[in-house]
Amino acid sequence: MAGIESRVRVHRPPVFRAGALHLGPVMLLIPALASIGAISLYPVMLGLWLSLRDTSLASPTDTFIGFGNYIQLVTDSQFWGAWTHTMQFTFVSTLLETLIGLLIALVLCEQFRGRGLVRAAMLVPWAIPTVVTSRMFGWLFDGQNGIVNYLLRSTGIIHRNVDWYGSPDFALVTIIIADVWKTTPFMALLLLAGLQTIPESLSEASVIDGANAWQRLWHVRLPLLAPTLLIASMFRALDAFRIFDLVYVLTGGGPADSTEVLSTLTYKHLFSALQVGYGSSLSTMMFITEIAIAAGFSWFLLRKMKEVGQ
Amino acid sequence: MHKNASPRNGFQQASDSLSESNPVQDKEVAHASRNGIEGIDRRDFIKRTGMAIAGLTAASTFLTSPRRGFAAGSKPVEITFSSAKFFGKETIAEVAEAFNSSQDKIHVTYKELPPPSSSTEVHQGLVQQLARRNGDPDVFTQDIIWIAEFAAAKWALPLDEYFNADVMKDYFPGVVQACTWEGKLTALPWFIDSGMLYYRKDLLDELGAKTPETWDELIDSAKKLTGSGKAKFGFLWQAKQAEVLVCDLVSFIGSNDGAILQPDGKTASVADDAAVAAVQLMHDLIKKDQVTPEDVLSWDEEPSRGPFTSGEAAFLRNWSYVWKISQSKDASSVVDKVGVAPLPHFEGKKSAACLGGYQYGVNASSKKKEAAIEFVRWMSSPETQLRFATQLGLCPTRAAVLDDPKIAQEQPFMQPLKSVFIGAIGRPVTPKYPQVTLVLQSAISTALTSGDVKTVLNGAAEKIRAIVKT
Repeated sequence: MAGIESRVRVHRPPVFRAGALHLGPVMLLIPALASIGAISLYPVMLGLWLSLRDTSLASPTDTFIGFGNYIQLVTDSQFWGAWTHTMQFTFVSTLLETLIGLLIALVLCEQFRGRGLVRAAMLVPWAIPTVVTSRMFGWLFDGQNGIVNYLLRSTGIIHRNVDWYGSPDFALVTIIIADVWKTTPFMALLLLAGLQTIPESLSEASVIDGANAWQRLWHVRLPLLAPTLLIASMFRALDAFRIFDLVYVLTGGGPADSTEVLSTLTYKHLFSALQVGYGSSLSTMMFITEIAIAAGFSWFLLRKMKEVGQ
Repeated sequence: MHKNASPRNGFQQASDSLSESNPVQDKEVAHASRNGIEGIDRRDFIKRTGMAIAGLTAASTFLTSPRRGFAAGSKPVEITFSSAKFFGKETIAEVAEAFNSSQDKIHVTYKELPPPSSSTEVHQGLVQQLARRNGDPDVFTQDIIWIAEFAAAKWALPLDEYFNADVMKDYFPGVVQACTWEGKLTALPWFIDSGMLYYRKDLLDELGAKTPETWDELIDSAKKLTGSGKAKFGFLWQAKQAEVLVCDLVSFIGSNDGAILQPDGKTASVADDAAVAAVQLMHDLIKKDQVTPEDVLSWDEEPSRGPFTSGEAAFLRNWSYVWKISQSKDASSVVDKVGVAPLPHFEGKKSAACLGGYQYGVNASSKKKEAAIEFVRWMSSPETQLRFATQLGLCPTRAAVLDDPKIAQEQPFMQPLKSVFIGAIGRPVTPKYPQVTLVLQSAISTALTSGDVKTVLNGAAEKIRAIVKT
């Protein structure tokens, strides 16, 4: 405050008022800026800084090595494996969750008896903690005593048990199924909210114009739902990209690294091997990929918004 | 003992008298007094005024009444103790409490970490505390595989001056070796565990087969038992891409006289012929001989234990905790039908079990080292080891304690396993172990699913060389 007063005395009276007006809002913004800086900016910057060092908690090494970690990273087949699995997981799970979520939302948007109950029941999978979901799917898809194998066997689809989590071909698929089951309600909820903002009058008008149900969906509701659809799937994709708990509980990244995703690999390097430097470069790569995904969605979103606006 | 004549505080008097029978006494006292002046005295001015009197008092006074020094009534030295959570009929907290009530000079506060099944979290918790180097916790327990790492990071206090070779010869040599890093003792043995072979006595009797000593014998019996439908599974072990896979790997490779790393800690031998043959055997058990179901590729300890104690499997590799479950009528359908033996080996080689267990460490930054040493000395004493064995089922690291008749009564599986425990071999000893194990987990899991053992192991050896060379 002393600083302000001394400035005040130097300036002429009119500027005094302007100066006060100027400083006031800035002062009010400081708490918010400080907390964003401390919680968001500082860790990101520290992560970037650490990714340029060979810091390890378990040994005394801590020197600046420039892009050494990144050079090691691009030649690390485990990293690219994890990157590919993460992208596969993100793409397939988001796509399925969006499609199934849309179907559920369309149904729940209609009037029928017991709709409130169904809407509430639909949310149950989403409300269950992921670790519990993981355990549950662990049992469902158990290679020996799981009910999925039992059902598939008794309907004659398979002749011998499938080793869902022990086979590199099925493990990731199983994890995607678990994630779809768990997170589809979230998509359905967001899309339902979007559907409800579409004025009823538009649908009614199209009915009068002779549109059938399919045309009504395709030409009236979906175009208007597009921004919500994009925002919802962007949230979902960014969230799916961070997949950790399902993999950690169910497979630990195996077998043969087939379910290793970026989060679990980063966790292993950071917290098991305590390679803070290398682990930070991994998480920086995650950060960059997430920004790219967000940018892609935003580009589509802006285009859609413009179309809808016109 | 007469070194007590130097100015000292009350606590040290007490610690001397508590450990009167120790042959390293003099050394310890000399060191302790050095530390005492930096640590305790600074904190306790009142005690300082009593130092002159303390110096005049002979230790023999305290030998007769160890609990009543003239320091009695003054505040006990507070130390902290962090350990993974173990429990049985008693908890670790109760044992630490027993130490507190056995004397009034030192008070230990126990800080519980997650159970050993969440080993990564325990490791993380310890590293976060130790890396601060602020002396908290004063005493901790560490998985045998972290000893090199903690010693190399200089988090663990070297203990040679407190526990000389004479004291250490009462412990199993394999454990003492595992507690030693670059010639210095940096951990004090608590308990050992090791991988072992559980088998169904009744099924082998029906078959007229003996307990398998070689892998071929095991495969042969397992095939016969699964073929005749007496057992659903032949031999269960753990191949989930996790630490347990490396434990299994160590026993397979060791049973062919191979090694992952040479004792120098710098030479990777995981792609040598002995190791390749061992990993090939692991692969063949699943894919060629099919005595092991493919499910083990996603199983760690518990999923593999389940089918065995419910009577579906003939053989199981697991840790000692399975014994208690297999003999409990509520949890097991194979009570009294289970035998335990060393794991099989390759023809003409020796059985190798993977050494596990937690050991004590003293924080090198501890400000109350004498009290910490006193506490670990008590924790590792024959009486306390016996208590851990009978109450918590943790196998003693002192040969004499393992022979105690009380153990035969309470934990009948332990003594027959003495040969297993003595023969147990450590996992690769290197401060880079956490990185090495990640490479191994990924590589072995890949080798077992792809079958391309030699190529995968060559790649792993290459990576391990790059990690340990620095």
